[in-house]
Amino acid sequence: MSLDTLTRPWKAFSYGFLDASAKREMRRKILKAIAVPGCQMPYASREVPIARGWGTGGLQATLTLVNPGSVVKVIDQGADDSVNAASIRRFIARVSGAATTLDTVQATIIQSRHRVPEEKLRADQVLVLQVPNPEPLRPVEPNMSVARQMHADADYGRMWLQLYEQIVRSGRVMQGASYPSLVNGRHVMTPSPIPRWDVPKLNMAKHLTILSAGREKRLFAVPPFTRVEPLVFDDVPYRVEDHAGLTCHRSGARGVFMNEIPQEDGTSLHEVSDSQLGVKLLNGEAPGEMWYRDGVFRP
Amino acid sequence: MQTAPHPDAREQRDNASFHALMRALSRPGTVQKLPEPGAVLIAAALLDRECRAYTDDAALEVPLRQTGAALVPLTEADHLFVTLGSAAAVTALGAAEVGSFLYPDGGATVIAPARIGEGAQLTLTGPGIDGRLSLQLGDLHPSLWEARRRLCRYPEGIDLFFIDGARVIGLPRSTAVQEG
Amino acid sequence: MAYVATRGGERAIEQAERLYRAQMGEVTPARVAEIERALPSLIDRVMGEASLYAPDLAALALAQSGGDLYEALLLLRAWRSTQPRLQIAAPVTQDRMLTHRRISAAFKDIPGGQILGPTLDYSHRLLATEVVQGETFTPVPVEKAANPAPACHPSLAAWQQAQGLVAAPSLAPVDRDSIPDLTKEPLLFPAKRAHTLQSLARADTGGVLALGYSAMRGYGNAHPTVNELRLSEAEVIVRHPNGTEFSAGRVKTSQAEVVTTKGQGTLRLGFCATLGWNEVKTIAGATLDLNAPGAPKGSPVNEEFFLYHTEPVESSGFCIHFKLPHYVTFQSSLDALRDAKAQRNKTEEPA
Repeated sequence: MSLDTLTRPWKAFSYGFLDASAKREMRRKILKAIAVPGCQMPYASREVPIARGWGTGGLQATLTLVNPGSVVKVIDQGADDSVNAASIRRFIARVSGAATTLDTVQATIIQSRHRVPEEKLRADQVLVLQVPNPEPLRPVEPNMSVARQMHADADYGRMWLQLYEQIVRSGRVMQGASYPSLVNGRHVMTPSPIPRWDVPKLNMAKHLTILSAGREKRLFAVPPFTRVEPLVFDDVPYRVEDHAGLTCHRSGARGVFMNEIPQEDGTSLHEVSDSQLGVKLLNGEAPGEMWYRDGVFRP
Repeated sequence: MQTAPHPDAREQRDNASFHALMRALSRPGTVQKLPEPGAVLIAAALLDRECRAYTDDAALEVPLRQTGAALVPLTEADHLFVTLGSAAAVTALGAAEVGSFLYPDGGATVIAPARIGEGAQLTLTGPGIDGRLSLQLGDLHPSLWEARRRLCRYPEGIDLFFIDGARVIGLPRSTAVQEG
Repeated sequence: MAYVATRGGERAIEQAERLYRAQMGEVTPARVAEIERALPSLIDRVMGEASLYAPDLAALALAQSGGDLYEALLLLRAWRSTQPRLQIAAPVTQDRMLTHRRISAAFKDIPGGQILGPTLDYSHRLLATEVVQGETFTPVPVEKAANPAPACHPSLAAWQQAQGLVAAPSLAPVDRDSIPDLTKEPLLFPAKRAHTLQSLARADTGGVLALGYSAMRGYGNAHPTVNELRLSEAEVIVRHPNGTEFSAGRVKTSQAEVVTTKGQGTLRLGFCATLGWNEVKTIAGATLDLNAPGAPKGSPVNEEFFLYHTEPVESSGFCIHFKLPHYVTFQSSLDALRDAKAQRNKTEEPA
């Protein structure tokens, strides 16, 4: 052993911002998360130069994965040009030298807040979801230690009870986004808060999804070809948002998740939520293969 | 922070090793390529002062120590670099750390040499596998599969990487292995 | 719609940042130096919460953020997280610290003596308005004591232990390199003792005060008596590669030990220490620590509750994250709400 093997020249900050020790911890935890799909793995979660709650978990995962050959897409609410997505994309490019793209099809790493793109992801792509609250049990159990014991025991009775009560009170399950879903038949996870429309895109998918909560210091994963089943009763089927019949006022597109834009006359217009898909459709470009056809999910 | 940053050779190698390991574990049974042959590469990408490592290979002791990891007995290690070619080695593996239902991440990562594409026929099912996948793995003692089943009381368990030169195969605890 | 105007995002965030920085003006070395010189209490508070002892960097962070404490903290924490750990310094013990101030409320006098040190505790809080009239406020010089107090003092708890009043802590000696490090491992519960103390040391002063105050008002079961409050300087003892131990400098530290008689035959202690001099935080933190054992889950004095909720970077970040657009999740809930309403209207229609 020589001193040379143990030392390195000083640098203002490491490649990809995270230091080597932070990256190694992320690597170890990502591997464990893949080995036990849907199970929340605790990690130290370093402070990064954006505020907690603004995608620091997703960012740490992306910065661990990224290399100069990566092509990174960052979206927030489906939009590439939303301010926080623009900020994160700029930061990743600045510290990694990776290329950036708005096009889902071109990307190798897609970091997203609250949406899964409408174009199908491939085996060579990794989806990194930013997670504000990794704990599906929090509405029924705010204490993390108790919730962890419930996961250990696969004790999801209170979760089911909550869904049942919603049906009794409101005639349907009232859960909006982050619909609790059973992963690999064992762990219930909260699929970041993606809309119900996007949850089927994680089930038996070709791509790997890494979900990372920086503030709460937990990460979990859905490997490819892994069952992700929304919690439903046999006689009350899972329902995605009723967006299949809406039409984008800009592109005329139908059958994808829409943003609602209230109008002064009391009506609403709709536009494609996946902003770059909207741009493609407006320009008459052919989109990549889609998860939904005519508003119907087709695996 | 003004010029485009560029990773040094070590960063490039560690990143490439990790991508191979991540693909290997998310697609159990598929063959992935490490940037160079050898278990040392995996150690460099994953281990540091926070880790406790075990090896039965004296030649690996120095490189493992260089990562900053503490060398500990097998039962206390979170990363094991072992040979699983004998019944005795497999029996010893039976005492590896498997984590707990509360913290399944406590289960050890085991790195072992094997001949990929030769030897016993195995059929894999589980997360990461589209239906089922068949492969051959040699240089492993046949008792390994029963020992692994005993260790992997899901979500407890161990996660295995088999390396053959620069080729690596991952076998997470979530994979069901059938012999034949 | 300006929020996510197509392709406008990049330009908008750049200009918004420029506007903020333009209003703040130049950050010069002189401005940073003046902040460091003029605001030692603020510097101490920021260094403690950042868990980074660097007065010049703390001053820089304050200058760069215009005094926004949470922004300054985030700057320092993010910088800190990129720095290599060269050494783990030797643990400091109470009796070897250079003590500036040391008081106990539990006894009229204590072995080693009460030392008031620098404090405004008994001052009249009168605003020196003559300064805004153009005059200079000049502090009156300090008169030296006839007998200077010794630099180091024993800990009061050591005396109480010798008297059998306090149970000696049952601590197994830990190699300094093996002390758990909160910044390299997640905080899990029941927390390791090192994690609890590190977490309190980094905690938000205001947050710790709010929850500590709730305990003092009765949401905890133990009333704190300040056993010992200390402001001191500690030597940072590190090891040269050749084995020699040497001091790399000194850091200001504060620590509070509070005590309750509600124990089983002995006194019970609560403890909190931090970098820099910050009396409010350490007294409030020690009160939380004192009340933590056996506290019900969800109580403000439950360890998981107060440690998670007083982490300044996490709590402030999450609070401001609500400014981010949430229209996808909102749309998803709206869809369920409208459908439930439609179903209700259908069933309420007269047959």
